[in-house]
Amino acid sequence: MSAQATGIHHTSYAAELALRHTPAEKLRLALLIALLLGLPWCLNGYWLGIVNGIVLSAIGAVGLNLLVGFTGQISLGHGGFLAVGAFTSALLTTRAGWPLPASAGAATLLSAALGAFVGLPALRLEGVYLAIATLASQQIIEFVICRWSWLTGGQGFLDVPRLALFGERASRGSFERGWYWLLLSVAVPAVLAARNLFRSALGRSLMAVRDHDVAAASIGIDVGRAKLTAFALSSGYAGLVGALTAAYAEVVSWERFTLDTSIQYLGMIIVGGLGSVAGSIYGAVFIGLLPPLLAELAALAPGSGARLSAQLPALQLGAFGLAIVLFLLCEPRGIDQLWRRAKDYFGFWPFRY
Amino acid sequence: MTVDRTRIPSDSSPQRLACAALLLLAACTRQREQEPPAQAPEIVIGVLADLTGPTSDVGRLYHEGMLACIDDLNARGGIQHRRLRALSDDYGYKVPVAEEKYKKYVQSAAVAVQGWGTGDSEALRRKVAGDELPFMSASYAEVLTDPQQSPYNFVVAATYSDQIRIALDQIAAADPGAQVAVFHHDSPFGNAPIADGKQWIASRGYQLGYQDYAMRSGATDFVASLQRAQAQGAKYLIVQNVASPAATLARDIAAQKLDMKVVCLNWCSDELFIQLAGAAAEGAWMVQPFAPPSVPKPGHAPVRQYLAAKGLDLDAQGVHFVQGWYTMQVMASGLEQALAGGELTGKSLRSALEHMAPVDTGGVIGSVRFSPQSHRGASSAGVYVVQNGKLVERNAPAAPRS
Amino acid sequence: MSQLLLLGVYGLANGAVLALAALGFVLIYKASRVVNFAQGELLLLGAYVFYTARVALHLPLLIALLLSAAAALALGALIERLVLRRLLGEAPIALVMVTIGLSALFRALVQLGFGTAPRELPKLLPAGSVALGAGLHLPLDRLLAIGLCALVLGAFSALFRWSRHGVALRAMADDQRAALAQGIAVSRVYALAWGLGALSALIGGVLLSDITELSPNLAGFGVLVFPVVILGGLDSIPGTVAGGLIVGLVSQLAEGLCPGASQVLCHLLLVLLLLLRPHGLFGEPRIERV
Repeated sequence: MSAQATGIHHTSYAAELALRHTPAEKLRLALLIALLLGLPWCLNGYWLGIVNGIVLSAIGAVGLNLLVGFTGQISLGHGGFLAVGAFTSALLTTRAGWPLPASAGAATLLSAALGAFVGLPALRLEGVYLAIATLASQQIIEFVICRWSWLTGGQGFLDVPRLALFGERASRGSFERGWYWLLLSVAVPAVLAARNLFRSALGRSLMAVRDHDVAAASIGIDVGRAKLTAFALSSGYAGLVGALTAAYAEVVSWERFTLDTSIQYLGMIIVGGLGSVAGSIYGAVFIGLLPPLLAELAALAPGSGARLSAQLPALQLGAFGLAIVLFLLCEPRGIDQLWRRAKDYFGFWPFRY
Repeated sequence: MTVDRTRIPSDSSPQRLACAALLLLAACTRQREQEPPAQAPEIVIGVLADLTGPTSDVGRLYHEGMLACIDDLNARGGIQHRRLRALSDDYGYKVPVAEEKYKKYVQSAAVAVQGWGTGDSEALRRKVAGDELPFMSASYAEVLTDPQQSPYNFVVAATYSDQIRIALDQIAAADPGAQVAVFHHDSPFGNAPIADGKQWIASRGYQLGYQDYAMRSGATDFVASLQRAQAQGAKYLIVQNVASPAATLARDIAAQKLDMKVVCLNWCSDELFIQLAGAAAEGAWMVQPFAPPSVPKPGHAPVRQYLAAKGLDLDAQGVHFVQGWYTMQVMASGLEQALAGGELTGKSLRSALEHMAPVDTGGVIGSVRFSPQSHRGASSAGVYVVQNGKLVERNAPAAPRS
Repeated sequence: MSQLLLLGVYGLANGAVLALAALGFVLIYKASRVVNFAQGELLLLGAYVFYTARVALHLPLLIALLLSAAAALALGALIERLVLRRLLGEAPIALVMVTIGLSALFRALVQLGFGTAPRELPKLLPAGSVALGAGLHLPLDRLLAIGLCALVLGAFSALFRWSRHGVALRAMADDQRAALAQGIAVSRVYALAWGLGALSALIGGVLLSDITELSPNLAGFGVLVFPVVILGGLDSIPGTVAGGLIVGLVSQLAEGLCPGASQVLCHLLLVLLLLLRPHGLFGEPRIERV
């Protein structure tokens, strides 16, 4: 049982629908906003670049959690939809001259449509079989983007020119900072949209499908439609992230969108917490910070530092695997649950529960 | 009595925690900005390496050669009395990691970057042009030699296309009407020279048959493709791949007792291929732009000397060590030139590389020269043949016939 | 014709190894209903454990084999004890993810211990080839690999048919409650299933590293296990063997037609099967939704 705030009395519907009720929650939100606004001035370009990567993966993780955590459909194909979004957006930008908002929008829609198509087998499969089917779809998409030479004009990779917003190209110094604001301005609405989705009827129907689809069908929810919607929304988020990644990295190649990418996203939502939008973000931050922090540790470690640095990729991979296993063994509901328990501890104090 | 939760004090613990965290974050980041500025007399070069990824068997040797060259230069007093500092990172052939490390180099005010493979060279091509950082690597793709397309990339040795042209020249000279099968890695690295090879046959008027076959990575055998090559009547197999799959291919040919000669391009023309293929490697032709240690040239002397001082043997290290050493050596000549001319920036380094006198590599690559119109340093490669498990010179280094 | 035979031999060799790997997968699934995404990594670990025993510790062949087999059994039991037991009853996604996490961990351990360069292993199977007329040379090592796999599969089948532990495994897979009622210890059966799964992966890994090479790429075989088990049926052992051989043959023939596409063809086949006949060739058609 979680600590419920008492003494809060709403006097209007608007107040009841608000996302934050207690002063403590509002304070935490204010601190978060302050942190987000202040980050570009605290961090140098390298770390800001890492933060940008985390913001991108957070949006993607929210999308995947929508499908896996909220609707209960296991999907190993997230990397493939990222690829679809990236290539679509890059091709529209370079070959058709579309501006980024238009090409990103088109990429999102195309990914969503493809996601719904790939989700059709989901109507007949569930659990492990669905996981295997999405694994197959990931491998097929990977093969197509690797081999279809029309995509990259035979070069094997696609160059995207540096983003020019309102006619200005970002210079070396302001590149990361500019992208930070751009990514934040996309991430915040995306996260809020996901959060609000699960306060709406559609969101509740998705959760009903996860919990017990036969019962959901018996109260009138179209289970097939709900599953397809979940697939479409999740792939749409992935397409958006892919499009932004293409513009940010300025090059699109198939190596970024392999099975390892899908597994990384799954790791993020497992570690962060299935079925929780905030959990997706915690997971993205955790998995995103793990490699650079390990690199810093290896650099700082005296003496054996050189040997550790040589093995760094293996250590990072091992840490990733270990994190997933440990979280699943000790706290299967992820960082989100850990945070809830921490809040409850202070909330209930001095009582135990 | 109800607990009134509208009051803040009972929630002060999370609040205090948050403030503490914010202060800690601010403190940590302030430390970072106190790093020594790059104007101190050190030349910073970013070095990307694959020490643990799919190409690590050769990547490690190349990287060690490069670091050895830097160490040797520093031991001789550095370049114009300034020490070289290499920021070396292992990116495991993962392009996103390479990009992250690249940002670190930009942050640390590097003046140049040494890359490794085709993946990172092509991913960073636009970025180095935008950030004005000269970039050399062990990717010999033709597109990197064109200043119009890759203004800040420099290729020190013969490109894959030049190598296939030289191979085709040799095959045409030995057997004018032969059928040639090109087995290549299934990737942009593998595809790079295919079209250029076909074009060369047409432009030189050779009567050679030409067919390409992709080698799937992770394949345990290539019998199916070899059967098709046999149906084509191929007598010469040009292999554009790394040593391990090439060795598997050679072993399959030997097991099937096929009458086909393996012609390796530079990434399988090394000691590792001979070691892995064993007896199947005998008689194979090797196109290698860098002279291997088993064919001594004057340029090998300083490398041998450096290794001998550490009690190591150049023959044990192999041709890729020499490759890394001399790639860095060419960059060092450019740095020397840039510093002599004034301030050292990425832009001045590029200009220095383009206008400097030909670099004499003591016969290892031939003489390396760039120009504002071409960032192709050299176009010659030697053709070697495997005899008794060693590389023996068959044809002296020469450029494709013009 | 002779060309087809040659391709067939190579394909069957790969298929036999796949069947061994998939056998372990199916064993684990039948007993504990866990889909082991780390099967490829168990193959990898097995090959490297054998390498350590043989090359690093310089043990004679038989001792090295026995020691590696014991290590595999112990590893399987350990995974079951430490990791899976605590997650029984959790959502399928948790079980899937924990095996994925283990696979990343195993790959990292192998990389930390042995690096990524291919290692030299003294050949177990003789090199050379059997010459059948018309210039056809069948590789001896692959023929022997097929034979050895058949032997091992036969041994496993005998184990399941006639030994007490095998019967207990089959009973547990059939109906857990009835098996419990008969006094079969669940935990022991799970540990046995995982141990045997790791053992078959070890044998497959050793054979594979012998006919190809010992390097971390061995783990890539794990992805092909899925088409095999879906084709054969997730809960059928003869089906797995048939599935492995068929997938091995089909991918080799496809490689001849379109190099590089053999893997993706297997995955397309997988998707089709899942849509049309999810229980595979030999699996039990279940009435409940799949």
